Amino acid sequence: MNILPSRSTEFSCRNNSGVRALLSGLLALLLAGPALAEDESNLTFQGFGTLGAVQTSTNEAEFVRDLSQPKGATNHLDGRVDSILGLQANWRLSPELEAVVQAVSRYRYDKTFWPEISWAYLKYDPTPQLSLRAGRLGTEFFMTADSRQVGYSYLTVRPPGDYFWYLPFYSINGADAVLTLPVGEDVLRGKIYYGVSEGQIPYGDKQWKLDGSAMVGGYLDYQVGSWLLRASYANIRFNHDMPIDDVLTTYLAPSQVESARRFLAADNTRSHYYSVGAIYDNGPWQLQILLNKITQGSRIFQSSSAGYVLAGYRIAQVTPYLGFSWIRSETRDSTHNPVLDAIMAESHAHQNTSILGARWDVARNIALKAQWDAIRGEPKSVFPVRGEKPDWSGKMGVYSLTMDFVF
Amino acid sequence: MKIPRIRLLLAVACVLLMSAGSALADLVVVVNARSGVAAMTRNEVINVFFGRYRQFFNGLEAQPVDLVDSHPDRAHFYAGLVGKDLSDVNAYWSRQVFSGRMQAPPRLNTPEEVLKWVSSHPGGIGFVELSKADARVRVVYELTP
Repeated sequence: MNILPSRSTEFSCRNNSGVRALLSGLLALLLAGPALAEDESNLTFQGFGTLGAVQTSTNEAEFVRDLSQPKGATNHLDGRVDSILGLQANWRLSPELEAVVQAVSRYRYDKTFWPEISWAYLKYDPTPQLSLRAGRLGTEFFMTADSRQVGYSYLTVRPPGDYFWYLPFYSINGADAVLTLPVGEDVLRGKIYYGVSEGQIPYGDKQWKLDGSAMVGGYLDYQVGSWLLRASYANIRFNHDMPIDDVLTTYLAPSQVESARRFLAADNTRSHYYSVGAIYDNGPWQLQILLNKITQGSRIFQSSSAGYVLAGYRIAQVTPYLGFSWIRSETRDSTHNPVLDAIMAESHAHQNTSILGARWDVARNIALKAQWDAIRGEPKSVFPVRGEKPDWSGKMGVYSLTMDFVF
Repeated sequence: MKIPRIRLLLAVACVLLMSAGSALADLVVVVNARSGVAAMTRNEVINVFFGRYRQFFNGLEAQPVDLVDSHPDRAHFYAGLVGKDLSDVNAYWSRQVFSGRMQAPPRLNTPEEVLKWVSSHPGGIGFVELSKADARVRVVYELTP
């Protein structure tokens, strides 16, 4: 079995063997780990994971964690959506230089848990203010997006979907730079990154390829006391069209296919991601307010605005939390062609989600979480779900139990 | 299944109450005596220990050192400094580590090891009980409960 199947270009083949080499390298490191770790304290191994069970109130549509998952949960118990295992090796070569490899196994576009190298990079910190990385890096389109697989690190069962659903981009091959400056007792932090995306998004029975899509972005953080404020921007230039050719050839006259393909092209279009956020973290309180706006350069996707608010309060080892999230996408003008309109309508999202849950830190480095999501949307809100049936009402209750751990 | 959970909760509650009481034990932040640093504010200490900004006012790189979870001083320190439970602190570090931003400070077993570490690193900074701080280190911040 290939690690990254259904690649055909020469670039991808080389890439594929690189990934394989990295994976076997990591495996070798892990096997040698216990022996090495004792003598060589510069090499550390850490891991994270989630065992999750989720069930919804309906079988009108399937609930997924984000767009990278081809199948989701219905009114039968599902263990795939939230379960994740990650392993990370850090090797400190000198005080300034560090090598990091992380592999993650999660339910992905091809309906397997085949592990992927999520990051593999060199980090160079010439001064306490400057940090440079190059290699395969996590993407941080929105605040906290680069740790959204590490359930133990946040309060909720999963990052609020209405806000994060549209981010199937997990890693780029590229470089980033972070500059940190003190402002009195406050801290100002800026990051810029550039890279070429990895990954695929399932679309029906097919995959939409993201590889080769160039991504550039940055953000500014301002830490003042217990508040962390952020404004960020990123854009991506897609490198492939959506896999809709067979739909077009089936439903359109042959003479219309080429112009329809051009009309709905995603290849060589640019999408822009804007976000602002504020996180308050003090004593027992955790508050988060995040807003985003996505402007899509292609006609096949709808531009959208989304946001969420979340509040949690720790009482002994239990932290109950309450949240609310929403997404609205802008329907484009009708083309007066039902086939094109139907394809364009598939990226429509219009829903709110109320979130109620609790995190119980049951033991050192283990947290149990129970959460109820009440999704209330229009029947036309089909982008966030999979396999919606004609009777899809847009309303769904989601009941989740997870155990998160780090080691 | 119910009873052990309740017992566990009670035990946890007892530990919390006890730690709330003994958080008054005077913990202080110490730096290498030759670092040139004389005093720090609470926010500066938070910035260093949470990796937000690791440089002293004089340009020297701060090299924080922490204690293992099982040492009671660790819970007292973070409760006093930011009002946070160790689970919150560990969750914070898992976010930093697994997003590749930075590693947590090294964790030592005893205050004596902390003192040794601080005095052997130019930018060393750690926390110990006031009574344990000796001539090798300088007290730059006192935790006020």
